[in-house]
Amino acid sequence: MLLNEARGKRLLAAAGIAVPVGIEITTPAAVAGARFAFPVAVKAQVASGGRGLAGGVRRCNSEAEVSEAAAAILSTRFSGLLPSTVLVEPWLAIARELYLSVVIDGRAGGFVVLYAPKGGVDIETGPKPLAYPVGLARNFRAHVFRALLESVEHDRKLLEQIVALARRLLRLAEAADCTTIEINPLAVLADGSLTAADAKIVRDDAAAWRHADIATALEQARAAETEDVRRCLDANLMLVWLEGEVGLLSGGAGMTMAAMDAIEAAGGHAACFLDCSGNPTPAGFGLALELLDSNPTVRSILVSMFGGGLQMDRVARTLIELLRNRSSTKPLVLRLDGTRGDVATTLLADAGFANHRALGPAVSEAVRLAQETTP
Amino acid sequence: MSILLDAASRVVVLGITGRIGTFSARDMLAYGTQVVAGVSPGRGGSNVEGIPVFGSVAAAVAATGADTAIVYVPAPLALDGVLEAVESGCRLVAYPGDGLPVREAMEMRAAARAQGGWMVGPNSPGLISPGRAKLGFMPSFCYQPGPIGVISRSGSLSYEASLRLTQAGLGQSSVIGIGGDPVKGVNAAEAIALFHDDPATEAIVYLGEIGGSDEYAVADYAQRADAKPVATLLVGRTAPPGRKMGHAAALIGSYADTWESKVVALEAAGAVVARSLDALVDAAREALRRSAR
Repeated sequence: MLLNEARGKRLLAAAGIAVPVGIEITTPAAVAGARFAFPVAVKAQVASGGRGLAGGVRRCNSEAEVSEAAAAILSTRFSGLLPSTVLVEPWLAIARELYLSVVIDGRAGGFVVLYAPKGGVDIETGPKPLAYPVGLARNFRAHVFRALLESVEHDRKLLEQIVALARRLLRLAEAADCTTIEINPLAVLADGSLTAADAKIVRDDAAAWRHADIATALEQARAAETEDVRRCLDANLMLVWLEGEVGLLSGGAGMTMAAMDAIEAAGGHAACFLDCSGNPTPAGFGLALELLDSNPTVRSILVSMFGGGLQMDRVARTLIELLRNRSSTKPLVLRLDGTRGDVATTLLADAGFANHRALGPAVSEAVRLAQETTP
Repeated sequence: MSILLDAASRVVVLGITGRIGTFSARDMLAYGTQVVAGVSPGRGGSNVEGIPVFGSVAAAVAATGADTAIVYVPAPLALDGVLEAVESGCRLVAYPGDGLPVREAMEMRAAARAQGGWMVGPNSPGLISPGRAKLGFMPSFCYQPGPIGVISRSGSLSYEASLRLTQAGLGQSSVIGIGGDPVKGVNAAEAIALFHDDPATEAIVYLGEIGGSDEYAVADYAQRADAKPVATLLVGRTAPPGRKMGHAAALIGSYADTWESKVVALEAAGAVVARSLDALVDAAREALRRSAR
């Protein structure tokens, strides 16, 4: 889960990394009586990128300006999201902007440290950062990173500060289960010291069982989801609504994506990524069908399951029961194959439902039916 | 021949008294795998499906000569289980479970490599060498012995793809599920290196996804002068950026993560790229045809 800047900076500060001392406010009125050393930066707190270019960071010289900037920011959407709070910090006198991050890369078997001598908003378009593949945090070697940095940095004091900070970020990433810690820009101040002017930190959701703060944040994120997504999470189904018209109910992440791609290739668009493999029971399939039946943008439904460990005759029995009691008349195409797929086909035929064994024809039919029912 | 796992492998199942452990032990045994031991702390001396159960991996290895392990324990206990298996002398350890913190995956991988062994997973069905042995819970009927080495990030896709290959008469030397997480015990580059060194593997089929860097490792291999022919299928062409598609690593964060970028790199490297699941069998056949030249 991506932390907003203020949360990220609190994590950095707790690890002994220099950050500007700011306050977080939720309403413009909250600035009344606060003591600021002007100028200050007023920054949108939103878990998405690109806020700087969208007016989410403003420089203010008075309490009135802060209040006005906060009001404007709190009512602006950034990449579709409203900021939860506004962070007010001293405006840094930055001598130089650097880029430093610790990320996960499978090729390194763990962490990679990335460094660029020119940080800031253009990092995506500039030259590729230097990369030091570390793996486990304890495999960080100062001399290896130092040798890499010496190709771009000649200020010895700065170079050693970067080496020390990289080590500290790796230890933090390991201890706090962070999959990304990105400091951009990493500010060099007039006195030569380093301060994290921004922070993008991603915590590992899978580590919620050992970090109460991740568990709490996940709970909050779940509460903020739409009701459909929340019900699916509670039922151990994976749902992402997409823009299309073919309601896809599938099993396994890879096969669900393969079916989405096949729908597009057949001239249609998937209405969702909906993976039912986590709960292939009457409750799971029942919820999935209910959501697809009740969503008016879904014009046809494709149930595509390939049974590995899951026995398709059991799935067929479950579906027959659900389909017999279904009130929706939305067209529905079945494709059950894999373990006991032959028995499933027979059971479905006896109950009056056609089953496709192959994916291609099932996809074509679902796309065609969606187009026929679209006004 | 095959990679990592063959008919001589002697398998110990950690967590054999659990529901999945018992099911999988029975299933692997039915496939002809030598499942020689189970481990369940405090349950030593009992048996499951006729397989003797020990209280520790060390006891199981001492009594049965087990050299391969599969670990069916929940995520909070997973690292302990894998370390125990590795340090008791198992040179191949599978951890199929999902929802594992990346930190655990890093530690498991490093521990196995430090002993000169391999960890397969997490978030993977495991590894099968058709006709010889299986270490995992993939459906046996999807596979038959043959010359194609299959590597997959997705379990479900590997079942369907392997069955299509099998039905087309294209058997497999081994099929390895490297897993859907960002840090893997065996990553794509390492799986390819293993197949490269396996004389029974004539061509490689790689089943990939959006997100992550594995597909670029496949492209790096495909352009080598001595590479075995590679056919690929990548899924997630139509996935929107910034939304996680089930797998932890299936997320488009930058252009390099996209389907287009990866397909361009693979085609430029000379891989046979299947642009849909329906095109996979022809792509695999083409790769095999090239290997015969």
